[in-house]
Amino acid sequence: MTRSALFRSLAGALGAVSLVAACGGGGGTTSETLAADQTLRFAIIDYPTSLDPAHVDSAVDITFLSEVFTGLYKFDNNLKIISDGTTGMPDISADGKTWTFKLRKDMQFSNGDKITAKDWIWSWTRTLRLNDAYASNLYAITGAQDVSDGKTKTISGLSAPDDYTLVAKLDAPAGYWLTQLAMPTASEVLDQKVIEAAGDEHWTEKAETYIGSGPFKVSAYSAKESIDFEAVKNWWGGDTGKITKVHTDFHVDAATQVKKFESGGYDLQGMANSPAGPDDVLRYKNDPTKSKLLTIYPGARSTAVGFNFVTGPFAAKPGAKPGDPTNSGSSTSDPGLDGRRAFSMAIDRNQLADIACAHAITCQPAFGGPIVKGFKGYLGDNGDPYAKFDAKAAKDLYKKWDPDGSKVKNLEYRYNTSPSNDKRAQNLQAQWKENLGIDVKLVPSDFPTLQRDRKKKIVILGRESWGIDYDHPQDWFDNLFNCAQAPIGRGNDEAYCNPDQDAITNAANAKPVEQAVPDYVKAQKMLVNNVVWMTIDYGTQPYLVQPYVRGAGYNGLYDYGWQGIKLLQH
Amino acid sequence: MSRGTLVYAAQRLVLITVTAVVVSSIVFIGIHQLPGNALASERRNNPATEAALLHHYNLDLPWPQQYVLWVQGLAHGDMGESLVNMGVQITPLLLREARVSVTLGLAAVLITIGVGLTLGTIAAIRQNTWVDYVASTSAVVGYSVPSFVWAFLLILLTVSGFYAWTGGLVYENIGWGKIEQIPVPALALGLPYAAIVARLTRASMLEVIRQDYVRTAWAKGLKARVVILRHSLRNALIPVISILGPLVTGIITGSVVIEYIFGIPGLGQEFVSSILSRDYNIVIGVFTFYAVLIGLANLAVDLIYPVLDPRIRY
Repeated sequence: MTRSALFRSLAGALGAVSLVAACGGGGGTTSETLAADQTLRFAIIDYPTSLDPAHVDSAVDITFLSEVFTGLYKFDNNLKIISDGTTGMPDISADGKTWTFKLRKDMQFSNGDKITAKDWIWSWTRTLRLNDAYASNLYAITGAQDVSDGKTKTISGLSAPDDYTLVAKLDAPAGYWLTQLAMPTASEVLDQKVIEAAGDEHWTEKAETYIGSGPFKVSAYSAKESIDFEAVKNWWGGDTGKITKVHTDFHVDAATQVKKFESGGYDLQGMANSPAGPDDVLRYKNDPTKSKLLTIYPGARSTAVGFNFVTGPFAAKPGAKPGDPTNSGSSTSDPGLDGRRAFSMAIDRNQLADIACAHAITCQPAFGGPIVKGFKGYLGDNGDPYAKFDAKAAKDLYKKWDPDGSKVKNLEYRYNTSPSNDKRAQNLQAQWKENLGIDVKLVPSDFPTLQRDRKKKIVILGRESWGIDYDHPQDWFDNLFNCAQAPIGRGNDEAYCNPDQDAITNAANAKPVEQAVPDYVKAQKMLVNNVVWMTIDYGTQPYLVQPYVRGAGYNGLYDYGWQGIKLLQH
Repeated sequence: MSRGTLVYAAQRLVLITVTAVVVSSIVFIGIHQLPGNALASERRNNPATEAALLHHYNLDLPWPQQYVLWVQGLAHGDMGESLVNMGVQITPLLLREARVSVTLGLAAVLITIGVGLTLGTIAAIRQNTWVDYVASTSAVVGYSVPSFVWAFLLILLTVSGFYAWTGGLVYENIGWGKIEQIPVPALALGLPYAAIVARLTRASMLEVIRQDYVRTAWAKGLKARVVILRHSLRNALIPVISILGPLVTGIITGSVVIEYIFGIPGLGQEFVSSILSRDYNIVIGVFTFYAVLIGLANLAVDLIYPVLDPRIRY
């Protein structure tokens, strides 16, 4: 073979590496002139579990649904509740049990179908019939649970005196309901005609049948691959903003997303709960130029260690049936209390966040109870007295509680494995060993396995976590910490049941949120004093935004709406 | 194609079908023994909700009954609905993803053979020269570095590196859907195998080019291209082809990691995500698809043998 032939062969082999020529993206200067192409591009780590508002189950789903559908109310970028499909705030009767909503008369679906009160009733009835994760947002209405239970097909407490008035009668006053209605999930209005024609389970599969009434509509959808949106022309709500198209790739590894962001392939990184990995966040934070593209928002997730209140050494009432009252609030009548307090005080949360969260960047140490800092009901910095690290006090209390070490023999810490959860677990184990002198065995598993055992109430000591659905303390107590959730199969994994606390939160639930917050704070103080959860950290949400993007961000719960985003010439 | 070859191919197709059924049955039984289920969610706190969903997907039935229903669906080409992505039908989803994986796999095989044969041949005909040393060393490096490391190196080079060096004019646009997005992940997937092919080709070529018939070809004054490609390489290919079967299997299974890293929506990515999320129906479907793909790939390799070596007959 000649030398030229050799080079031809090598060139042929290397020619396999084809590279695209593309217009520049990332860096460079920007002006306030809008880019000609207003297509917003980003990727997410996961993919939507469902595009049906009645089946929403994650932050990923909400990111998209909030752009395609309309509810009666919505949150603005500051989490303030504003009208969406209504002309104003609801008219609430003096007893708080009758809510009247005046609907906008100009509303229509993206296919041109008009929206009237009957559409809302049909949509809410369907949500309750399907009875998935967020159907409970409508449970306040009289007769709603009968529909969920299959006892009836109509919501007795919901009526439409005319086409543009919706009246809901509630079983009891519910100060939290307005917040639930603003959450872009169960209460969105759907097009009955389209769904019935396409099929209840199949209407979300094709862009032609996936019809909503929001500012954007789906133009192409390939399950688990990508989704494309376009702004609705002549949208009933007015201006849809500057963005004309949105393209999202699904299931792209965070590190790959960052690389593509850096080469201008994505305009944003971090949308839909898809943060960059700790290494990339640190890299951006420590680079003077790149750090301008990074914003770390406070997140809405608490991570904690939960203690079983009916089984094992930490039980407040050993042998009690899940759902039975468990707590009396003193160490004399609660044999597990000192143990729980010792375990909590033995953890230096600053050290844990430093090790598990990339020097406290991807999470922050928690000292103010389960409800996350920045949200209604937060106890305040140092509001959790047992979150303060005190190795000596912890050891003394532990020795008093378990002098011969028999209570914690073969103790296991259960958690669902992930890089950050593994680091948390290893640090907890090390700190319990160092500060209390005890060996805790780590038992990682996948999430379904842990969740199964949590609901069976057989996890003695385990990882807990909750991402806020909406900014109201009721979200915490009614889902995690009341007696109704304590029985097997329900969400109070610790089987903690404190009737005194329930009385406070039930009363608070009936009040407007401003009046209710002090009561919820009181209830949360009971929680932290009883150490139901030892909260260890609050999440953060790192966001990478190209310098030519304006209006993108995160409000602690949701990404900012696409209507406010624009792309400058770059 | 001879009648014997057709009969052989038909027998293998039947065997592939049986294998697919056996694989799917084993996976079906195995996955139903795992604790927890796909419907686990911290939001679904109402047991009635979970019960209704389990009923909707027939997951409340005894697993033998579920299996019968699944086989009945399969017979009609219906692998059911995703448990995690509600409303997503599995058969069209996996067919689409299989197309993606096959495209990536074929590109990787082309790179494997192209790079491997080229390097191996060059090394052989320039034996004990710097060309041989470079080619052989490259092959050792290629073989020693796993494909996922190649993936990260190539991303660093072709995305961040090229973007920075060219001011954003030329760079790899990671993703899928455009033809220019195929080569880099295919290269990451194929390079370790290309190294194997290169080493094998070199050894095989060194043996062949010393044969009398090759010496005769040179003596006849034939052009180097004809002697090397027609007389030497063709015979040297037989042992190379013999490893293509396991090599193709390796490439198909290797795509699991590469697809994840490059964000390619293929079967490999589905394989990982469906197992982690306990999406039973998809897990069974993916395994079945893999069984069929590997069976077909090996059949294709077997059918190439008689083309290269007429002495081989079925």
